[in-house]
Amino acid sequence: MKEIVVISGKGGTGKTSLTASFAMLAQDDIIVADCDVDAADMHLLLKPDFAKTEDFYSGELAIIDQDECNSCNLCFEVCRFDAITVNGRQYSVDQVNCEGCAYCSRVCAVEAITMQPQIAGKVFTSSIKTGATMVHARLSIGAENSGKLVAKVKKEAKNLAKTQNKSFVLVDGSPGVGCPVVSSLSGADYVVFVTEPTVSGLHDLERVNDLVKRFKIKSGCIINKYDINEDVSKQIQIFLSKENITHIANLPYVENFTKAMTLGKTIIEYDKILSEILRNSWKNILKDCCE
Amino acid sequence: MKILFTVKDNSWESQMDARFGRAEWFLVYDEANDTSDFIDNSDVNSQSHGAGPLAAQKVFELKPDVLITGNGPGGKAASVLNKMIIDIYTGAGEMTVKEAYNAFKNGKLAKE
Repeated sequence: MKEIVVISGKGGTGKTSLTASFAMLAQDDIIVADCDVDAADMHLLLKPDFAKTEDFYSGELAIIDQDECNSCNLCFEVCRFDAITVNGRQYSVDQVNCEGCAYCSRVCAVEAITMQPQIAGKVFTSSIKTGATMVHARLSIGAENSGKLVAKVKKEAKNLAKTQNKSFVLVDGSPGVGCPVVSSLSGADYVVFVTEPTVSGLHDLERVNDLVKRFKIKSGCIINKYDINEDVSKQIQIFLSKENITHIANLPYVENFTKAMTLGKTIIEYDKILSEILRNSWKNILKDCCE
Repeated sequence: MKILFTVKDNSWESQMDARFGRAEWFLVYDEANDTSDFIDNSDVNSQSHGAGPLAAQKVFELKPDVLITGNGPGGKAASVLNKMIIDIYTGAGEMTVKEAYNAFKNGKLAKE
């Protein structure tokens, strides 16, 4: 079983649309993992059924026991996040502002403040429209994606791939180069970069490639909308060959790309020409990954 | 020589854990005394962020001579590990612990 992670560095390059298309092409021989949890939208294209739901805990929140609190005001004084609300002699914690640092809990002389695990969102195991299984998540309001959540989604997906005897885990990674991206790369076998020919597209590709190199993971790249700036496209191709990254495909800018999305469809279901390029891309990815 | 492995379970029969920071367990094998210590890494695993540097700090305290893992530590974890004298070997993510040990002994693992 191989784990293929799709990342972009820059947001908005078409990463999720392409990942969903690959999920369509792979049909039932994969487990899909949506690790782009901050802006999870692959479910719009793959129509999961949310069959299994599980709470996800991350970080802690301070809770003040009103019976124990002696209104000494110390928690209010030490809190750096303005998370203690005072109403007369009644002290409470603003759950959105609380960062879970536990400073208040530590200084409380009467031990009225305890730290409790916080529900940060939900993790789902679903069946999608191809019949394959997808693991995905939804964050609570104000919660953020984390390396921990990505690790959990990936672990669940890998376990399912083993028990269902699937050849691949296809991961929609998150943008950027931060903790969730590091977590989505850890343990991966192959990386697909999706970039676009803009200055920031190339810049962010360079940054995220540094991470991938650190993990020594083999990689390939799709240049989406390559024809909107052929000069930068050329620069990207030079970068790819210099860095030993397989150039998987150039995708032209086609309005059907967006039209398919607005209809909740993957490109495979909507545009013949793009489908053909993507079919070849997927073939090349599998070949490159298993070599 | 003290060797630290990132492992999925607390047994020599276990699979290696390809992850460094969020590995399930650390195994510290002391060749001189033939002793194996399994260290639960769930405290690091339960952190939302910064698992890599925290795990590296743990390694710092355990003072192994060699670290054997899958993909290798990320950037921040590596900068912590660079402060200590340790040889890092990667590419053991898909092996069992025993296989990883043998591969290391036979010089088959990539050194960072």
